[in-house]
Amino acid sequence: MKTYVRFPNARGSFRVWQREFTIFGKYWKTLTFPNFIEPLLYLAAMGLGLGAFIQRGGINGQSYIQYIAPGLLAANAMFAASFESTFNTFVKLKIDQIFDAIVTTPVNAEDVVAGEYLWAGTRAAVYGTGFLAVLTIIGFIFLPNQLLISSWWALLIPLFLFLVGVMFSVMGTLFTSLIRRIDLYAYYFTLVVTPMFLFSGIFFPVTRFPAPVPQIAWITPLYHAVNVCRDLANGPTLGTLADLAWVVIFTAILALIPIQIMRRRLIS
Amino acid sequence: MPAWSEEATVVARNLKKSYGDFEAVKGVDFEVYRGECFGFLGPNGAGKTTTMKMIYGVAIPTGGELKVVGLDITERERDVKRRIGVVPQENNLDDDLEVRENLLVYGRYFDLPKKVILQRVEELLDFVQLTDKAESEVEHLSGGMKRRLLIARALVNDPDLIILDEPTTGLDPQARHLVWDRLRELAAQGKTLILTTHYMEEAARLCNRLVIMEGGRIISEGSPQELIERHVSPQVLEFRAPTETLERLSPLVQDEADAVEQTDGALLAYTADADTLLEKVRSAGVAVENTAYRQTDLEDVFLRLTGRSLND
Repeated sequence: MKTYVRFPNARGSFRVWQREFTIFGKYWKTLTFPNFIEPLLYLAAMGLGLGAFIQRGGINGQSYIQYIAPGLLAANAMFAASFESTFNTFVKLKIDQIFDAIVTTPVNAEDVVAGEYLWAGTRAAVYGTGFLAVLTIIGFIFLPNQLLISSWWALLIPLFLFLVGVMFSVMGTLFTSLIRRIDLYAYYFTLVVTPMFLFSGIFFPVTRFPAPVPQIAWITPLYHAVNVCRDLANGPTLGTLADLAWVVIFTAILALIPIQIMRRRLIS
Repeated sequence: MPAWSEEATVVARNLKKSYGDFEAVKGVDFEVYRGECFGFLGPNGAGKTTTMKMIYGVAIPTGGELKVVGLDITERERDVKRRIGVVPQENNLDDDLEVRENLLVYGRYFDLPKKVILQRVEELLDFVQLTDKAESEVEHLSGGMKRRLLIARALVNDPDLIILDEPTTGLDPQARHLVWDRLRELAAQGKTLILTTHYMEEAARLCNRLVIMEGGRIISEGSPQELIERHVSPQVLEFRAPTETLERLSPLVQDEADAVEQTDGALLAYTADADTLLEKVRSAGVAVENTAYRQTDLEDVFLRLTGRSLND
């Protein structure tokens, strides 16, 4: 039998996205809350707590809380999309067999995967928008001299977080497509997600470290997502485009691989 | 005169499916005609479910030809899937959605206009007697209700062909009869049905024609009545007695009956004339405690063809 690369269909992907949207519409109040609180905890603990011990002058002329706030937006999108594409996708794939039911309709396996990418992006953007609003308000009320979000370019952040969500969904789905047991996600979160969270320039500027630290940071997706978020929050430069291009190209190259593997898991 | 038309809804020619070195389906040929109810019988591992999966497009054939609703399934998978309905063996309803929502969301996968979906969903809830449960969570439904909802879901696109993999396995008799009623009504509406089952009674009641599969091959094909006539004598006598009595009885019965099977504690004699056979046994003076007479049925055919040993 000939095998060739499968591409998703827009209509089928939309139907899968629409299923998720319908369910989100029912449960959004309970679903959203933890995703909203977690970044605020980091902001309080690191920004205010640790920030109090960091010398006046902060980083690159910013206070510490100003420095970390935009990066937390990117991290929040990463966590939202990673949970969606790992545990949630695994349950739909193996436990509830939701995908098995869908692929007997005109919606194909490849549409299922692409629809889930789009949904992870949407979820990341929705959470990100809420968190962005909170950061902006906190800045205006409590820190008027050092606004957390200081540029109108920040209005593009939700759109960018959609892209970040899709990127981390592609990565998470790739891992999901390769594993048979749900407990293996401990490896993914401990060895991939958490190190990125800690070492992608959210909490300290990695570029000031000697080689190979900046080089390692450069190959991690979150590093570029953090750069773009920080630039959009404070006013972008030409360098922002380079980081944006990195995210787009990385996502595009990787996106088709989980689709092929997941198709083989659903269609024997 | 068959009730169905001669137009084939499914045509399989030397259809094969292998998983690595394992050949699940070793080249089967069959046709399912429009408007008939066609059954696949066979022990576990015979290749029934794999054949079903090939028909509804989730297993890709590794050899031969398969046309479903007149189209090549590997080349036109979306078009085929648009016109078929599938009731899977395992429940895969959407637990995050209520009963009605399950049907609404499923209808969207077929790109049906919203108005059409809304109307059809109410009709289907009524058809499977779940209107009262429309707002229930799926996990609160009984097994029979879940199966009826799966059947309703498979009908949401008004399919030409409905594929049911063990539609009544695990249901109580009331729930089973309700499913049978619904399936008969679908057949009366002119839908083509393909089902697999382990229940011979179900196959005999519902199927116009059926095939018996074993080891990845079709070993017999026909209407339930044809299969009985072809493979077993019309009547069977069951003698129950201690093994030593049966040992003595055996040669006598062997001479008279068309076929004899001995199981633990029972001797089954297939014959066209049970009265004469019974008379001979009595006159020979062998004491048999318990003798049962019945017409042969599909189960006898099935056991004759596929053996009495376990298949797991």
